[in-house]
Amino acid sequence: MGSADHGERRSEIADGVLLLSEARTVEHGRENSTATKDGAIDGAVSVRRLVKRYGDLVAVDDLSFDVAPGEFFGFLGPNGAGKTTTINAIVGLATFQSGSISVFGADAVKEFRSARSYIGLSPQEFNFDRYLTVEEILVYQAGYYGIPPSRATPRALELLEQFELTDKRRATYLQLSGGFKRRLALARALVHEPKLLILDEPTAGLDVELRIELWEFLRRINAGGMTVFLTSHYLEEVELLCSRIGIINHGKLVALENKDTLIAKHGQGSLQDVFLELVGRHVSR
Amino acid sequence: MSNWIGFATIVRREFKRTMMTINQVVWPPVITTLLFLFIFGVGLGSTLRQMDGVPYVQFLLPGLVMLNVIASSYDEAASSLFQQRFQLSIQELLIAPLSDLELLLGYLTGSILRGIVIGALIMLLGLLVVHLEPRHGLVLFYFMFVTALLFSSVGMIGALLAKTFDNLAIVTTFFITPLTYVGGVFSSIQILPPIVHQASLFNPMLYMVDGLRFGYIGRSDVSPLIDATIVTLLAVAAFIIAFWMVHRGVNLRV
Repeated sequence: MGSADHGERRSEIADGVLLLSEARTVEHGRENSTATKDGAIDGAVSVRRLVKRYGDLVAVDDLSFDVAPGEFFGFLGPNGAGKTTTINAIVGLATFQSGSISVFGADAVKEFRSARSYIGLSPQEFNFDRYLTVEEILVYQAGYYGIPPSRATPRALELLEQFELTDKRRATYLQLSGGFKRRLALARALVHEPKLLILDEPTAGLDVELRIELWEFLRRINAGGMTVFLTSHYLEEVELLCSRIGIINHGKLVALENKDTLIAKHGQGSLQDVFLELVGRHVSR
Repeated sequence: MSNWIGFATIVRREFKRTMMTINQVVWPPVITTLLFLFIFGVGLGSTLRQMDGVPYVQFLLPGLVMLNVIASSYDEAASSLFQQRFQLSIQELLIAPLSDLELLLGYLTGSILRGIVIGALIMLLGLLVVHLEPRHGLVLFYFMFVTALLFSSVGMIGALLAKTFDNLAIVTTFFITPLTYVGGVFSSIQILPPIVHQASLFNPMLYMVDGLRFGYIGRSDVSPLIDATIVTLLAVAAFIIAFWMVHRGVNLRV
């Protein structure tokens, strides 16, 4: 995650996380193949008939989809379509009126401890604690997940090293540049070694070089077994990284397919064309 | 409660926040108390008559302790949670495997500790400056603890309801400060005119100050048992409301 001449360094970063992911993939393999009471196979994320209303506004309307373990899933939609609301419901930031969500088989409400411990979230907006240093942000976050400082501190130092944040460890997040803040958000999402990484606009505000480095990093951790759930307005990013794509509009799923099938089905050149065809009629242009 | 480390991390975070704002939240009450003791002890001490059979400065000190326990515990819970809501950093806790109870108890413990530590610092001043030692240590601690629990819970409720920092000041400016000042901190209700005396009995702060004063100097205007019952009931009610609000995710979970 550094400049161009840090290619080797980037590989080390990704390899470090890759090893952790591989170890966890082995551990998780058994869980991934277990069946729920209704006979469905547990997915990394299973959303069933989710409804979320804000007063009279239906933000998410009877939404159902699955993300398979190890998948790189893209979740798209125009502004206000219900993407962030859905993510918020998955991670526990939003309540919902009906439906169910499970994460690696754990119900997001009834078994919230397991479900939440499987998820690492890198949110769109920076939401770091201003009273903590960069290192403390990681150690405290691990603490909230039940990891004692004796284990959290070495893990935090390892991530700081991997994301080239070691020399910023005593800074507060307000002293970091946009690129370093994004790295910190990613390091924080990984500090408790989740199985599922949810990224909400992870490259927003990053320059091209940093964006490409992040893509490379995400590909590597996904190759190592980490399930990645990505939402982004950069459609070329989604097209490049994701194997399967869901498109939501007005709270309803309008497409859910393998990326290549989705593009081929609509007979056009790029994901952007498909996206505009599916949601464009609802968007003021 | 099963995520003890998560709970302890919240408490640790609250302690760190207090230490980082020590010049705003710890030293001001200590210095203000020292000034009160100087003015009413050294300055006006010889001109003031005794109150409830003890030198005025000794009568005053328990009230000052309670005043600061109330203000500190409310302020810590209210400002800390509201800041985290305002800056979105509360999301770090909301996505973690912490139960609503662990989350609430983490904040409350941090706030109660701040209230009790500041109360203890003021008592230490009392010991050094007026040589006043508590008569009934356990009673005194009980009133400090339950009052801190009450106002930490009120602080949580305020932080969840507030839309601006200015909203938080409403509770302090219009309720806590005036009710505490007329709640027996500076004078015994026995010397008040009958109608004011009767009105004072509806002021909940009176029972907190009175109970703590009993624990400190062994004198009270009301029965300590009545004090303890009222303060405990209020604390339990505030705790239940705060828990209900956290559980419902009021202004926490969208």
